[in-house]
Amino acid sequence: MKISNILKSLMVGIVLTSCNNQLDIQPSTSVDASQALLTSKDVKGTLVGAYANMGSTNLYGGGIYVYSDLLASTGTDINFFGTFQGLTQISNKEIPINNTFVSGVWLNAYTTINNVNEVLAALSVVNSVDRNQVEGEAKFIRASMYFELVKLFAKAWNDGDPNSNLGVPIVLNPTHSLDDANVAPARNTVKQVYDQIISDLTAAETKLPPPDNETYYYATTGAAAAQLARVYLTQGAYDLARDAAHRVISSGYYRLETNYSDEFPYIGRAVRIYNKPEDIFALQISEQQGTNNMNNYYAQSNLGGRGDIEIASDFLNTFPGGDSRLSMFTDDGSGSLFYSDKFDNLYGNVKILRLAEMYLIRAEGNLRMGTTVGNAPLSDVNIVRNRAGVTPLASVSIQNILDERRWELAFEGQWLSDYKRSATDVATVPATPWNSPSLVFPIPQREIIVNPNLIQNEGY
Amino acid sequence: MIKRIPIFLWLLLLSTSMLAQSRVISGKVISIEDGQPIAGVNVVIKGTAVGTTTDVDGKYSLTANLGAVISFTFIGRSTKEITVGEQAIVDVSMDVDAKQLGEVVVVGYGTMEKRDLTGNVAQISSAALNGIPVTSIEQSMQGKAAGVFIESQNGKLGQGIKVRIRGASSLSASNQPLYVIDGIPVTSQSQSSNGAETNPLADLNFNDVASVEILKDASAAAIYGSRAANGVVLITTKRGKSGKTNFSINYFTGVSKETGRRQFLNAQQYVDVESQAATNAAALDPSFPYVAFNNSRLQRYAAGNTNYTTYNTDWQNQVFRAAPMNQIDVSASGGNDKTRFFVSGQYSDQNGILIGNSFKRLTARMNLDHKATDKFNFGINFNFARTENHRLSNDNFFSTPLQIVALSPITPTVDPRTSLLSGELDNSTGLPNTNFPVYYNPMISVNNAHYVATVYRNWSNAYATYTFLPGLTFRSEVGADILFQTEDQYLGSLTVRDTGTPNGQGFNTTTLVVNYTTNNYLKFEKTMGLHTFDLTGGMSFQRSRNDGTSITAQQFPSDAYKNISGAALIVAASAAPTNFSFLSYFARGNYKFKDRYLLSLSGRVDGSSRFGDDNRYGFFPAASAGWIVSEESFMQNFNYVSNLKLRASYGLTGNAEISNFASRGLYSPAPYVGAGGQAPSQLKNPNLKWETTAQMDIGLDFSILNSRISFEIDYYQKKTSDLLLARNVKGTSGFQTYIQNVGNLENKGVEFVVSSQNYVGEFKWATSFNLAHNENKITNLAGQLLGTNDLNRAIEGQPIGVFYGREFAGADKNNGDALYVLNTKNPDGSINRGTTNDFNAAQQVVLGNPNPKWVGGITNNFSYKGIDLSIVFQGVQGNKIYNAGGQYMSSSASNGYDNQTTDQLRAWKNPGDVTDVPQLRLFFANGVNPSSRYITDGSYLRLKTLTLGYNLPKAVISRLKMEKMRIYFSAQNLLTFTAYKGWDPEVNADAFASNINQGQDFYSAPQPKTYTMGINIGF
Repeated sequence: MKISNILKSLMVGIVLTSCNNQLDIQPSTSVDASQALLTSKDVKGTLVGAYANMGSTNLYGGGIYVYSDLLASTGTDINFFGTFQGLTQISNKEIPINNTFVSGVWLNAYTTINNVNEVLAALSVVNSVDRNQVEGEAKFIRASMYFELVKLFAKAWNDGDPNSNLGVPIVLNPTHSLDDANVAPARNTVKQVYDQIISDLTAAETKLPPPDNETYYYATTGAAAAQLARVYLTQGAYDLARDAAHRVISSGYYRLETNYSDEFPYIGRAVRIYNKPEDIFALQISEQQGTNNMNNYYAQSNLGGRGDIEIASDFLNTFPGGDSRLSMFTDDGSGSLFYSDKFDNLYGNVKILRLAEMYLIRAEGNLRMGTTVGNAPLSDVNIVRNRAGVTPLASVSIQNILDERRWELAFEGQWLSDYKRSATDVATVPATPWNSPSLVFPIPQREIIVNPNLIQNEGY
Repeated sequence: MIKRIPIFLWLLLLSTSMLAQSRVISGKVISIEDGQPIAGVNVVIKGTAVGTTTDVDGKYSLTANLGAVISFTFIGRSTKEITVGEQAIVDVSMDVDAKQLGEVVVVGYGTMEKRDLTGNVAQISSAALNGIPVTSIEQSMQGKAAGVFIESQNGKLGQGIKVRIRGASSLSASNQPLYVIDGIPVTSQSQSSNGAETNPLADLNFNDVASVEILKDASAAAIYGSRAANGVVLITTKRGKSGKTNFSINYFTGVSKETGRRQFLNAQQYVDVESQAATNAAALDPSFPYVAFNNSRLQRYAAGNTNYTTYNTDWQNQVFRAAPMNQIDVSASGGNDKTRFFVSGQYSDQNGILIGNSFKRLTARMNLDHKATDKFNFGINFNFARTENHRLSNDNFFSTPLQIVALSPITPTVDPRTSLLSGELDNSTGLPNTNFPVYYNPMISVNNAHYVATVYRNWSNAYATYTFLPGLTFRSEVGADILFQTEDQYLGSLTVRDTGTPNGQGFNTTTLVVNYTTNNYLKFEKTMGLHTFDLTGGMSFQRSRNDGTSITAQQFPSDAYKNISGAALIVAASAAPTNFSFLSYFARGNYKFKDRYLLSLSGRVDGSSRFGDDNRYGFFPAASAGWIVSEESFMQNFNYVSNLKLRASYGLTGNAEISNFASRGLYSPAPYVGAGGQAPSQLKNPNLKWETTAQMDIGLDFSILNSRISFEIDYYQKKTSDLLLARNVKGTSGFQTYIQNVGNLENKGVEFVVSSQNYVGEFKWATSFNLAHNENKITNLAGQLLGTNDLNRAIEGQPIGVFYGREFAGADKNNGDALYVLNTKNPDGSINRGTTNDFNAAQQVVLGNPNPKWVGGITNNFSYKGIDLSIVFQGVQGNKIYNAGGQYMSSSASNGYDNQTTDQLRAWKNPGDVTDVPQLRLFFANGVNPSSRYITDGSYLRLKTLTLGYNLPKAVISRLKMEKMRIYFSAQNLLTFTAYKGWDPEVNADAFASNINQGQDFYSAPQPKTYTMGINIGF
């Protein structure tokens, strides 16, 4: 064969060989959506993904609590010294509408909601034995996200009329296509959002099992009840809050740690620690997955944190004498500013709901309703005080309970909600009224732009 | 500019004798510019068939009668005619034919005569690229091609470089051009894992490059179809010439320093400023003991001294250094009629101006061409490179050296309490300090951390051509670009304040990118009377597979173990194989009539794995025409006009540089503490296709005085539609973006190129000047506002990346509050220019454009006898820079304890003060939100390269058996003229750089100012 013939055949061969199938390349690190929800295991895997998303840094990885505490800060309790300008803005209560921490909360929460909506829409694929549990966990996650959103992005339940105050948009169906994504939901009312939360949590409480051991960390019936207790407390529905808290306490699955510091353990090195018996629900952090965002902002830098937030001695001075909770602070060398040691463990879990708060909710519910369901309010408060090594109270007032919450739940994201539901102004100079629009996040600018049906919050 | 044609050869005429006598004439033909012998010159006695050609030494010998005229002809050079006189030896110097200068240009799948070109192709010759002491080829191209804007992100070596050819044409897909080396598209995407881009083209030894052609308009680029919208850069490497073997050795050594510094407060000024800030804060908020607090902080930062000014540290001195560099290049080229070769090697060792940064490159190349028969040629290019880049953290890390400026000047470099670096050890805990100095001290990373990226790169290709009939040739090429990279990082336990990881962290990646291409095409050329045809057509297939793995590990027994095998805990591991492919068919036809009417049609059909099922193939046609007016008979009277050509082109090109699976609906892994999980990650778009850019170009080529002066003027319009846009969707859907073909943008501009031979002869002076103006505008964004960083946005009606935010209005003269212009709309429609101290009350407005309006460069080359001088200026005009670090370093001391720039001394102090710096207020964030406060003009003009060389006289070097010896001194970035007060105006913070994020300075290293001394030896 002559060279020219060889070449000619070669050329024709190359040119004519169909390479078309070479254009069909499948992704190998992701899965095509059409292949992602075919089996029961697929759906359960998606539920696991929802936990991962719920644990993102902006949400229950700690962000939600850090941002809300900074918004409630006065300068005489917690101080933000870090370089993240978005957090300085939150701390100063002057939030531009394009603050990325604010939009991060919004976006990540709705991503998590879409995850569980996918799970709920595919419940029929789940094997029947696990179906209730999958549904209950999904609804717990969805309700928790809506609860956090409505607290941060809408007026408080007791600030005007929740029937007309705007909450956040309720989305209950998964997004499968651009058409789904183009739906432009308007903001539901605060009341509608709370109704949805209560409906999901009530369903979750019935459908979910109790924890099967002390370190169990997925959502349980107790977690749903505890979250419900908080929801009712925020609404001022003290009887329902009391009852829900009582269901958690009386379930017997949880117990207080002997020492306050045992609930926030640091064993000298960063190590994953599963739930403690006091934890009703906590987001888990491991060396491989999740980020403990509380550690990031509160812990000193040689513990993995940035040490951005320091605690003023004024706040420490408000604690009762001999309070063992004061042992969880380290002087930064100035004598006036301290680091909190509650989050020293880089891989510690992030507490979302713990038993001590349930005692305080039951106490407040009973005190406000004049009842003694489960226990007398004074005894419940003293359970918490005893554990902290503080002299028991002889009598208890609402203010005592609010103070106790402030100490016991310090930096756990409850301050802002407590100011608002108790109509207590924030003691900045000058004071910020409890119902000030500056204590509500703006609807993120990017969201207002893409969704014309959204109305911006007052003051932005 | 008086023409002084070298006429000394004609002096020979004076001694002409009229005696008709046959005699042997011999001599040597050399080139006028470098004295090198020219082989293969046709030496013919005019009017006869008698003749010969010069040998490899340029020598010839023939018999001629006295008075006969000998003609010397050689392609690319002016023909010389000599009348035979008394001399037996006639040496001839041949000059480059200006008319044919740069005649051949490389185009897609072929070459063309520049005269016949109807598209816009910028050519940069090897002489303009070689020997420049920079890391990568783009840097050596800066300022040398019209309409090509080249910007390094910062002064770190081997990092990302922005190249924009006629503006940015995309928002979400890449805006970088397609790079093609010797016909094979190469991997030019960053393979970095540290959040700052690397530049895979830094693996190329650009001293191997013979020429770079930049295809700018649609006519030139459309043959590269779906990847040509950002222009195509064709890099052609050197090949051997038949003749004697030439060796060349080039060596240089030099030193780099920073081009500029920022001015920061000294110890006394810092103490004054912070104390004043505390006093002012206390006056506003008596509830917090600011003054006492400030004193305790100052004492802390002064290493415990109550005399706060015990130390006065200029931290910039710690991280900047005089960085040595050395490079040696050797090459050999030559061959005979059948086989030609070019062999080269390079070793380059560059140190960065920032401590800890260095880049080494070792390359070897062999380009071989063989002519098997008259019809069959083949050849191979083989290139191997190894680069080793000792990298720094990206600009957004406390450990990046320049963030050291945030440390207080009152802090000593070495803590006297421990005799160790400040921050390295807290005696009370035995661990690194947690809050001394203000931030992590980057000096700790110098000895306790490393990040080494090592790349092994193999660019190889083989070709064969077969000529079936005269004019009909088939060419087949197969090429592979294999990039193997390892990254090895160890962050020691002392870096915990930066990393958040006690007991060390190791990180290791391997990346293998195998990118192979085959091109197969036919070429047919035919001239029939006044008609000339040139047809090219064929196919191309490219597949690229990227396999990457990475491991992160923690808990090391001690810092002596720096490899992940010493770690107790694997915290992350990943493998990410990904692929893409392109299958393409292309064709081009050029037609020329009467040597003056030119027409060219080209097109490419591209299919790609990246696009939706419904839009897998795209078609990219282009048409262009040219009219060489100077060939017309009516032009013959205008003798001074050497060339006048009008060109016009129109065509479509595409942009396909998006992620490999952007059209799919996807779920991605979302594990939760040991349990496998997944979550939806992307919405499906089966319609996803190319971005399409329709480009129109009108050009004029004009040269006069025997081509001594030539002009090129182009006007273009590039309209891009179907933008590949990561469009914001409603966050309530659970997704944030959706990649869709929506939106339009356009670029239009003009380009001027002037080259002139101002003096020729013994004293030579040549100038080449280019200037380009580009206007970028987003015309349709479906109502969106894109951009997530402080100020850069994509907005309809504005250029890409425009700064958008609040307009700063200086300090309130009554109380020192930061003020912003309201910019709200009055009821009558006018703009309220009143001011407010409420940041949120001020409307966001367009504050400036990070894209330059004009970019250009001018090169002047002088030579006289053995001396040569080259001066290159380069500049940009009309762009703005946002100092994103301003909120910390120029914050009225109101945002923490960062050291402040000296301009903060102008802060408001007393009622009535008029100043642009608000009152100093510790922690009050007085005017630190992103605003026009931190935007300044970024125009600059730079003396890019200055080279002075001296060629030793022939007499001296021939004794050394050499043909050439040149010693030179060169300076890079010697002078920079700018109003920018930062380190350097050529900046785009590496941690944030993107299509939209441009013109941001964030503790970014300045460009190096490099002085080198070198020697070129040829033998």
